Amino acid sequence: MAAPVRRPLLGVARDWRRFEGLWASGLGSRSLALAAAPSSSGSPWRLLGALCLQRPPLVSKPLTPLQEEMAALLQQVEIERSLYSDHELRALSEAQRLAKKKADPYDEEDDERKILLVQDLEDAWEQKFLQFKPGARITADKKNDRTSLQRKLDRNLVLLVKEKLGDQDVWVLPQAEWQPGETLRGTAERTLATLSENNMEAKFLGNAPCGHYKFKFPQAMRTESILGAKVFFFKALLLTGDVSQARKKDSHVWVSKEELGDYLKPKYLAQVRRFLLDL
Amino acid sequence: MAAALGTSVRALRSPSRAEPLRKKKKVDPKKDQAVKDRLKKRIRRLEKASQELIPIEDFITPVKFLDEARHRPHMELLFEEGERRALLLKKWSLYKQREHEMERDATRSMLEAQQEALQELRLTSPELHEAATKRDPSLFPFERKGPDYTPPVSNYQPPEGRYHDITKVYTQVEFKR
Repeated sequence: MAAPVRRPLLGVARDWRRFEGLWASGLGSRSLALAAAPSSSGSPWRLLGALCLQRPPLVSKPLTPLQEEMAALLQQVEIERSLYSDHELRALSEAQRLAKKKADPYDEEDDERKILLVQDLEDAWEQKFLQFKPGARITADKKNDRTSLQRKLDRNLVLLVKEKLGDQDVWVLPQAEWQPGETLRGTAERTLATLSENNMEAKFLGNAPCGHYKFKFPQAMRTESILGAKVFFFKALLLTGDVSQARKKDSHVWVSKEELGDYLKPKYLAQVRRFLLDL
Repeated sequence: MAAALGTSVRALRSPSRAEPLRKKKKVDPKKDQAVKDRLKKRIRRLEKASQELIPIEDFITPVKFLDEARHRPHMELLFEEGERRALLLKKWSLYKQREHEMERDATRSMLEAQQEALQELRLTSPELHEAATKRDPSLFPFERKGPDYTPPVSNYQPPEGRYHDITKVYTQVEFKR
């Protein structure tokens, strides 16, 4: 977090924060528990860089009934249009030979040799297949543990953190105040490092922000120079690692796009939904 | 006589009026030149002949599949089956159209959100906007593995054995001048 700079205005701002009452939720505005750094000269907006960290899906989604029907149809058509394979030719010829043997049981062709029938081969393959135990597609969903990274393996998960602001706890995407001398993407990277204590590796998708959210502080928070804040979101894909265990329980959550509504405020949610891709 | 011999010996020794030696001087360069020309002609002929192209193995039908015995017996499609297939294809095309529209709307909203954010950034601070619109060289090459049907098993033991790679590798020889 930025080091507190001694300025009479900011001292006033901190005193004002103590007198916060309940915010009007319709405003969708929040104050910030971050120590104030000087905003860019003259501008009444504070700058924040936020991180939209996504865990890409590990497993494919289950097929809908229509997709299953279509897949079955395509498979059928493919078989109809194909030629016989070596395995099928062998099966046909063996069937013919067995039929011939039944017709003339006294015709001794080559009964001494033990012939490996197609059926035996198929049974052996089936046995081998059953020996393999694939990984489970549904893991942490049974416990409904929203902090685990293994839940909803077929969806994109976004990280949300709980920030303590005055009296209230608000769920937001992880953010940090911008410091002069770094780009906004650098702010997002700093957020990532502080969240995970350098355990997480993420691939940032470019230098440009993917969305923004502008809000005004309530009257109690406004000073002569600070009117509100602007948050710029940067997208990143999680490669390895998880949020550090040192964080308090229940202060971070991995959610998919539908569950965002349970946590975020309405206006914030509306802006965030625009740049999150629902599969 | 001696004087005549002497003059002839002198004639033999002095190069200006001596017989051409016919050993290495004139014809050998000619021979070398002729050999070089023949080689160049051969090279030019090889170059003119079209180069042997690397065969694409997928486009060549192996001979064993031209066998008549491989053809399946032609089954006449039942009327109901044909109807069912036609209806399913229609439903599928409608489903795919809706899916495409959803994807298109989602990408459009993402692009709009990004453009608005960049506009806002430009109003806020020009140098941050410039830093945001710079190319990111570390972004490409971008590689990511897609989702599989089941997640990876943590303690999987792959079966023992050696892997013999029998793919045919073709090289194309280039004739350069």
